[in-house]
Amino acid sequence: MTLPDKRTTITNIALFVVMLAAITASLAIGTLQLTPTEVALALAGQADPMTDLVVNQLRLDRTLAGLLTGAALAMAGCLMQTLARNRLATPGIIGIDNAATAFAVASVVGIGVSLAPSTMALTGAAVATALAFGLAGAKGTRGYRFIVAGIGIGAIAGSATQVLLSRVAIDTANAAYPWTVGSLNARSDQSVLVLAVGLGIGYLALMGISRALNTLQFSDPVAIALGTRLRSTRVLGLGLSVLLTGLAVSVCGPVGLIALLAPELARTLCRPGKVPLTASALAGATFMVTADLLGRTLFSPLEVPVGIITAIIGSPYLLWILLRPSQRSPT
Amino acid sequence: MATSARKRVVVSRAFLPPLASAVFLLLLVAIGSLLYGAGPVSPAEALAVLAGGGTDEARFVLMELRLPRTIIGMVTGLALGLAGALLQSMTRNPLAEPGLLGVSAGSGFAVALAILLGATTATLTTLVAQLGALAGCALVIAATRVQGLGNDPVRLVLAGATLSGLLMALTSMLMLVDQRAADEIRFWITGSIAGKPLDMLGATLPSIILALVMIVMVARPLAAMALGEKAAVGLGHHPGRIRLLITLSVALLVGSATALAGPLIFVGLVVPFIARALAGPDIRRTLWLCAPIGPIILLAADIVSRLIAAPAEMPLGVVTALVGAPILLAIVRAGRMPSL
Repeated sequence: MTLPDKRTTITNIALFVVMLAAITASLAIGTLQLTPTEVALALAGQADPMTDLVVNQLRLDRTLAGLLTGAALAMAGCLMQTLARNRLATPGIIGIDNAATAFAVASVVGIGVSLAPSTMALTGAAVATALAFGLAGAKGTRGYRFIVAGIGIGAIAGSATQVLLSRVAIDTANAAYPWTVGSLNARSDQSVLVLAVGLGIGYLALMGISRALNTLQFSDPVAIALGTRLRSTRVLGLGLSVLLTGLAVSVCGPVGLIALLAPELARTLCRPGKVPLTASALAGATFMVTADLLGRTLFSPLEVPVGIITAIIGSPYLLWILLRPSQRSPT
Repeated sequence: MATSARKRVVVSRAFLPPLASAVFLLLLVAIGSLLYGAGPVSPAEALAVLAGGGTDEARFVLMELRLPRTIIGMVTGLALGLAGALLQSMTRNPLAEPGLLGVSAGSGFAVALAILLGATTATLTTLVAQLGALAGCALVIAATRVQGLGNDPVRLVLAGATLSGLLMALTSMLMLVDQRAADEIRFWITGSIAGKPLDMLGATLPSIILALVMIVMVARPLAAMALGEKAAVGLGHHPGRIRLLITLSVALLVGSATALAGPLIFVGLVVPFIARALAGPDIRRTLWLCAPIGPIILLAADIVSRLIAAPAEMPLGVVTALVGAPILLAIVRAGRMPSL
């Protein structure tokens, strides 16, 4: 456990304020437009029944799900980037999202157990991670090879999802469609609860190994000399990122690029040399809630799934990272 | 003079067995594509129709459903296989596949946009698909011109995958806007050669023939380019002109394939991969072998897609992805990229 420095503290507070603003906007804006005061009154339980229903029943649940999934995806991304020493190694890019989705869809169309999507998504995430790291060589950190392995895994998992959907009734398939592109619409309360518990445990565990994670930016011998147990840190870190990704996907499906963008922003704002886990989580939650808000309102009454919004906003940025002529390699 | 002529004969003889067996295999697969299907017509009944007899129902299924489907599959496979080989040879990147690099996605997005705006005729759809593919090709070439990226196959693929993701998200947006268009777009976007109208074939045929003519013109200079651009210039070729011709033919081929079957990923990777393994480094032989292997792979995948979930059908794009992704993994896992 390391105490946060001044710059990190200020960044975290600033990100927290921005997140509160995003939450307020998400609660206030929609078919029924409210003022921030009305939202505050409704949250305090002193609004008329109509406003109370819209804010506390409809929007609050959705916003909470957005916050939790965004934070979980962003932390998983930050963690995996640190472990692989590759800023492109996020769960979405290396196919973990897709595999978790395939397994979760299998449970939705196959088994009718209420807890199944969470556990199945976790299984899928674990399988994909094992495959990606296994196929790319023992160390699992060989830059782009690791990522192309992930693209292949993602393609297989995406096809598997299609196969599953093509074998069920058209209504079930249509209902599952927004979920396969990433949406907060198809969430079940139970998966959100499981995610909340998982996120809490994951966050505490990560704070526990944050010092070890900070030393991972050096080469292996230096990290060992600084007293880091590399193997156990890697295993624990990978396990936690699988946990966070799997649980988040079981709620919102594969929402891409939050795991890339949020840590990127956090790293720019925080002091270099530290792994900005808290800042990533705050930024990810803000991104997710804002993207969902955009998806709900831009083409209202039409709802654009949040995964499409993040893909349209995030992809150009990722392309820019990949295509700009740079002196140093972006890995 | 005499020696060189004899040498050429010897070379083409060594090359003949794989080509002949590929053509033979193609015949078998094509007959298989006529015999097997998800519908109620059994292989024996289909055989009776082929022999000139058979019930009216079997005759209808065979002649009106399976025959057009087989022909469309063969043309699509031919186009995608050749396009993949050309693109890989030009970018010197064994992973440069039209589907992976976003060329097919560009074409698919253009078709989706055209459908949304009310395009209905086959000719217009084909033209739009080819324009989209051309834009995709231009982006790929621009990307290979970026410093350091041309020599980095894997990074280019990641950029392509990102571009595909972006275009697919935009296509999904279009599908949300208009329900009628969405149904039609979904018909194109899943990647299938089932129930596609034959007039689409008529609309694509001229451009495929044009592309084949261009490939014949460009094959020799392209083989010289494999020695390096300077060597090609020394041998009297014009690299800029060659690249332009290849870009145009890839756009025509991928655009036609997308118009026929929707965006199919990985076919352009698998086909040249097999052809190179059989033919060796000469691009001309690779292209010759791609011509039968492309249809073989596509028809085989289509037969699998019919039988695996019978009586329902699985989208063809799913089968090609399930076959192609492990090959992509194998190429990357081998670590040592075959140099082009």
